[in-house]
Amino acid sequence: MGKRRRIDAVKTEFAEAAERHLDDVHAYLVYLTGDRGTAEELAAETFARACERWHRFDPRRGGARTWLCQLARSTALDHFRAEDRRRRREGRYAVSVPESEEQVFGEGLSPALEAALARLSAAEREVVALRIVLELDGEAAARVLGISATACSTRLSRALQKLEKEVSAGVAA
Amino acid sequence: MSPLELVDDRFDKLAEELRASRPVAPAALRAEVCALEPPGPRWTFRWPSRRLVLALAAVAVLGSLFVAGITGLTRSGNQRSSAGLALRPTLPTRKSPPVQTGAWEAQKAPAPNLGSALRSADLAPATGRLQRYQATLRLRVKDVDAMSSAAKRAMNLAHGLGGYVASVQYATRSKGGGATLVLRVPVGNVQTALTELASLGTILQQHTGILDVTRRVDREALQIAQLERQLAHASPSEAPVIRAKLATLRAKHARLLKSARLARITLALTTPAKQAAAAPSRFDRTVDDAGSVLLRELEILLYALVVAGPLLLLGGAAIVAARGARRRADQRLLERG
Repeated sequence: MGKRRRIDAVKTEFAEAAERHLDDVHAYLVYLTGDRGTAEELAAETFARACERWHRFDPRRGGARTWLCQLARSTALDHFRAEDRRRRREGRYAVSVPESEEQVFGEGLSPALEAALARLSAAEREVVALRIVLELDGEAAARVLGISATACSTRLSRALQKLEKEVSAGVAA
Repeated sequence: MSPLELVDDRFDKLAEELRASRPVAPAALRAEVCALEPPGPRWTFRWPSRRLVLALAAVAVLGSLFVAGITGLTRSGNQRSSAGLALRPTLPTRKSPPVQTGAWEAQKAPAPNLGSALRSADLAPATGRLQRYQATLRLRVKDVDAMSSAAKRAMNLAHGLGGYVASVQYATRSKGGGATLVLRVPVGNVQTALTELASLGTILQQHTGILDVTRRVDREALQIAQLERQLAHASPSEAPVIRAKLATLRAKHARLLKSARLARITLALTTPAKQAAAAPSRFDRTVDDAGSVLLRELEILLYALVVAGPLLLLGGAAIVAARGARRRADQRLLERG
């Protein structure tokens, strides 16, 4: 009886966390990958992993959103490594940027900002996603990125400056 | 406080636009994720929190202190009894002179029960017989001065009774001293000598041995007489050989007679060891023992650290280096993308 209740409680906790943070994880992965299709695949993979490892989640070490974002980053890195190996194998080193008219980083973004985001590196986009879009505080974002809070602030500042520059350049063009 | 306020106000408009148009997960993905069901709760290893680590460290320290305290208490109790024993005068043990078992009639008296009474009187040399008499006497004297005085008196006694001092060994140490005298005293005066010597201190050990050599003396005397007769009738070529044999036998006979005439008394004098310094109190002993146990624990800990430290350091450095390398590789990968 007690065990059944515990199982139900775990399921409820996970379902609530998934419902509450799915958009955040998805948005983060969209920014990180720069591709909606890949982001959806990775988000599904992330939550599958999270479901499997939910018993390892320790709320004392941080919120569920931070933990899910860490998991998403790890999943994305695995994907990038696999892609990198595949590219090396196939001898194609050029980074393939999706060339569709679809807005990747969000509905309603100005074309200049959309293009500017696409020109940022994944590392720059992910810090923007964590700090600006998901509004994580510096410490949580730094934990996701595996760097110090100061390094995170520096990285964000540089990313925003570059983004602003790219937007300005796009508008001028 | 907005995260951007920490960076720059210029980016507020940019941030607002990014936030307003953030991507939303499609319904299919939402349905897929909501269909996931985590497995039931199971035990997993979790690194202990800092508080738990601190608590464990405190428990370990308290445990080691407790063990040290218990060991100190236990040992100090045991040492009290041994300390009591240590206060008793320690006496050097010396081997008695070799005794021909079987032929010798010997008496060995246990030391503490003797007191100052001499019990060898009932083992006096027999009159009318030739006997080798050996006696060993161990005496305890008060101090080094008393030992010196007793040694002098013993030597004077030997001379006074018509004997002599065969050897003297005299030594003083910081913790006391010891002297060994070998006296040769006419057998007729041996009882007087032993009685006088016994009065010089407290008898710790006494050993007396008597070997009757009357038959041996008679046998040798007979052999000498036979050789003298042979020499009287010997040819010039045989005479030197018989003469040499006769000389050897006569010398041996003289030694035997001398040994039967002079008793050998070995007198050992010892002083009690200086009294040890005042025994520490039980509390002091407990503290000392507990301290030594703690030191031992620290030694073991230090030893373990010395042995395992470099390996742990190397392992830790390797892990840190691997993590750093992986992080840099990931960063390069993300910067390329």
